[in-house]
Amino acid sequence: MARDLLRVENLSTRFFTGEGQVNAVESVNFDVREGEILGIVGESGSGKSVTALSLVDLVESPGRITAGQVWLRNPDLAEEFPEAADGSFVDLRELPNGVRRSLRGPTFSMIFQDPMSSFNPSITVGEQIAEAVEVQRRATANPRSTRSRTQGYGLASYLVDGLAPGRDYTDEASHERAVELLEQVGIPDPAERADEYPHEFSGGMLQRAMIAQALAGEPDLLVADEPTTALDVTIQAQILELLREIQTERDMSIVLITHDLGVIARMCDRVGVMYAGEIVERGTLEDVFDDPIHPYTQGLIGSIPDLDDPAPRLQPIEGNVPSLLDSEMGERCYFANRCPKAMQECLQPPGEREAGGEEHAARCVLVDREYDELDALPDNYFGSGGERG
Amino acid sequence: MPLLDDLLGVLLRGLSGVLSPRTIRNLRSELRSSVLAKIGIVLIVVVLLMATFAPLVAPWNPTSQNTSEAREPPLGFSRVENQTTQQTVDGEVQIINEQVQVNATAAHPLGTDGLGRDMLSRVIYGARTSLLVGLLGTMLAMVIGVPVGLVSGYYKGRVDDTLMRIADVSLAFPSLVLAIALVGLFGQASVPVPDPFVTFGVAEVIRGAMSLPGGLTYPTGMPETFTLPGTVIVVVGVVNWVWFARVARGEALGVREEEYVKAAKSIGGSDGFIIRRHVLPNSLTPILVLGTIQVAAIVLLESALSFLGFSGTTLSWGFDIAQGRQYQTTAWWIAAMPGLAIVFTVIGINLVGDWLRDALDPGIEGEGGGV
Amino acid sequence: MASFGRFLAKRVLQGLVVIFGVITVLFLLRYITPGSPVDFIAPLDASQATRERIADSLGLNEPLYVQYADYVVSLLQGDMGYSYRSGTAVRPRVFAKLPATLELAVVATFVAIAISIPLGVVSATRRHTVPDYVATLFSLLGISTPNFWLGVMLVVVLAVQFGFFPTSSRPVGLLDALGNLVVIAGPERGWALPLRVDPFLSDMQNWLLHIVLPAITLGTYFTALITRLTRSGMLDQLGRGYVRAARAKGLPETLVRYRHALRNTLIPVITVVGLQLGTLIGGAVITEAVFDWPGLGSLVIDAINNRDWPLIQGCLVVIGAGFVIVNIVVDALYAKLNPQVMD
Repeated sequence: MARDLLRVENLSTRFFTGEGQVNAVESVNFDVREGEILGIVGESGSGKSVTALSLVDLVESPGRITAGQVWLRNPDLAEEFPEAADGSFVDLRELPNGVRRSLRGPTFSMIFQDPMSSFNPSITVGEQIAEAVEVQRRATANPRSTRSRTQGYGLASYLVDGLAPGRDYTDEASHERAVELLEQVGIPDPAERADEYPHEFSGGMLQRAMIAQALAGEPDLLVADEPTTALDVTIQAQILELLREIQTERDMSIVLITHDLGVIARMCDRVGVMYAGEIVERGTLEDVFDDPIHPYTQGLIGSIPDLDDPAPRLQPIEGNVPSLLDSEMGERCYFANRCPKAMQECLQPPGEREAGGEEHAARCVLVDREYDELDALPDNYFGSGGERG
Repeated sequence: MPLLDDLLGVLLRGLSGVLSPRTIRNLRSELRSSVLAKIGIVLIVVVLLMATFAPLVAPWNPTSQNTSEAREPPLGFSRVENQTTQQTVDGEVQIINEQVQVNATAAHPLGTDGLGRDMLSRVIYGARTSLLVGLLGTMLAMVIGVPVGLVSGYYKGRVDDTLMRIADVSLAFPSLVLAIALVGLFGQASVPVPDPFVTFGVAEVIRGAMSLPGGLTYPTGMPETFTLPGTVIVVVGVVNWVWFARVARGEALGVREEEYVKAAKSIGGSDGFIIRRHVLPNSLTPILVLGTIQVAAIVLLESALSFLGFSGTTLSWGFDIAQGRQYQTTAWWIAAMPGLAIVFTVIGINLVGDWLRDALDPGIEGEGGGV
Repeated sequence: MASFGRFLAKRVLQGLVVIFGVITVLFLLRYITPGSPVDFIAPLDASQATRERIADSLGLNEPLYVQYADYVVSLLQGDMGYSYRSGTAVRPRVFAKLPATLELAVVATFVAIAISIPLGVVSATRRHTVPDYVATLFSLLGISTPNFWLGVMLVVVLAVQFGFFPTSSRPVGLLDALGNLVVIAGPERGWALPLRVDPFLSDMQNWLLHIVLPAITLGTYFTALITRLTRSGMLDQLGRGYVRAARAKGLPETLVRYRHALRNTLIPVITVVGLQLGTLIGGAVITEAVFDWPGLGSLVIDAINNRDWPLIQGCLVVIGAGFVIVNIVVDALYAKLNPQVMD
């Protein structure tokens, strides 16, 4: 069995906005193994994107990670920063900022949902990928110093480059590598395309380019935030294929964030289901799809139309996604107001419970007991409005 | 400030005929959250009130000269000047130079100018000139520019090319230089407009009932007419129409591609109808924002023209600054006071413009982005 | 994608058309405005015959198109006619005054850009801190203050009250000052270059002292405007997806800010700057009036007051042409930053 690459324990990320505190991610636990694809699935607003950003330390003000540990397997760093270490793992949150940021590229990499808005419209695609290569090149030459990454790029360069961008920062070698990367992700005529601007690429091509950029540092872990959502269905399949190819070739891990169960089924080894900022169920693909415990997961799986056994009507999950405002969240199972199997016990937070199998776990009392009508909460317990099916 | 919010609610409801409900909601919420927007509105309201009720608010007639009280400093300052007097002592005529201190008086809190006219009153009346030119000039530029721009953008093709060449040529002249040239060459025609408050005797009555500190009474006899610098208004309108044309054109170019325009055409809507009914209302937002920027620019332009002597009225902030320049070593307040008035007025207009821009987010590359 | 050269050629051609339009409009303007130059030149009691003679000598009795053709042809030959008032040639006068205005405009623009862009960037990247508040307040004041008033106030406070700076005029120009450094003696005495350092230093000091207040007066509006635009532009760009993606690939923050965000911020800023150059020129006219700075601005105002048409036309053509040239440069810069526009 492959080793763990990343272990997330108790991660919480909150946003401190004018309207109050938003608990985007609440005490999330999961781990990622070397060479596996972990899927995180949920509706909009479930916290999956914020989780992804939290992994790579890209959460921006007014949000920040408020609790938890992100353990990364890195014996070298563990040796260098023993106060943050536990065996061969280091807690990323305990590392100095510069060190943590230097992991972006060689260790982590991220691709985003909309490729067109993830590239600078006024710089050629090749140049931007070459930048990624260049940053890594400079970093490996001089790992601990962040200054090296900006060496030879003084104030004057800023202004000049701002006005008449040339290849001041990147050099020929980086450009060649960029073209290589473009080729590896299946872009035809990579040398010509490298000199073109993002708006000249189609969505699918640009997503490939983004993947190429993400591979520049040869990362151990790629975080993909809804990489196919903005694309046509046929292109989606191609991109997913590409990801799988790359993953196998390089034995890379991928955290794949999506709301599309079909994508999960196709790509992932293990899955985490998110709802209202929590992981409500996690396990292998079979665990979650064939034997879902949490009623939310059951609802998700149940809402997939089945060709073999077409039901007259689709089975939706009643109700709406809850607010994540701290002031409006109570201390209970957050799904209880929409759950068809809510019981008295569910007025307490259920906590994460192991359900047997490899690592099947769910935040639900149903792990340990059966649903009993007698203990059920009355229909309008959480207010009127037909919220429970 | 709940009072402000209510007043604005009334005003905005009045405009609701023109603006969509969503726009009004955005405006209100932005106003509630922005301190600067509130300050801007307060400033504008103060200036508007000053300008409208000038004959009631100004302590003195701004044009009445009184050389014995010339160059009196504002409250808190004093001025020293050399006075040369002749004295006859024992039959001999002696010339005595002495330093005499001229003190400020409560009657003229902002001092007086070179001819003894009260600065506070001149500042108050000056607001009329600036605001009238600013508003009327902007409206003229809008009335010329918006239709031209809409037509140009909607029809495209040769009409568009020609009109835009004309626009380019107009823009080749820096607006101030062009304005100076036009006013200078066509003459400074002005229109004396009877002042409603004075004509109907309202001013007399109210002023008679009020009193100044120190037990004095308000002098009555405010100017009966107000001089409207006609040429300047026309010129600033003509000089600035291009900005509105460009924005309107940009909007028209966008709107004409929208589905609802194609739909309207397909059921037989005439071009004029479509422009009036569809293109124009959807272009309003950026035009409104541009409008505020233009009012500020025109107020500054008018004061520059008056400063250089190309006005048509002498009751203008710019004119007083020019006057004050002559006394820059002895009576600095003559230039300072009207200048401060301009600064506050334009700050107010700019803050309101920022409020509109932040609330409505028209997405134009406005000249002077939001704060 | 069109090449840069072709783009530039197209813009230059458009510029020429515009200049031509300017010339034509100016020419027509003469005929619309009331008052004939004869009134200014002829003595008050001149007889009709005398007035006719004057009009004839000025070529005013020729048909319109003839006068127009004459004017254009002579312009192309570099002849701008002769001043009605003084009879001297217009072109040498205009070009003699040009350096003064150019000095003012260039110095003011230079200082404006050097201050405003860093200020705008700092303001955007350190929001809600003291530098941000100061920059915001300053820029609000800067665009709301009439420049001539600022000039007068500066004179009152700094020149009259404290005597740091002179109150007006321009006794020595930059080129004159620099001329002290390089004196080419000529072939007879050998091409020696005696450096007159002391006169150079004192001339430079003189020039600098005299240009500071006018440059501040002229440059303040521009500085404030660009600061505001840079700030709001940066804030906008820093919230965009590509900034986050750039950070994700490991780019250091300084690179993200300058190479990416600032670059895209400057694009619309340059557009607006280009549009606002007219304001700068207008401002130069006023600044020259306030400080008795002997440049084109003062010249053109005098000419307008005297209805001295050849001089007016000469000045405005030069101003218009200069404006068009600068706009072409701005467009070229913009195209370099945003190549999409060349399609």
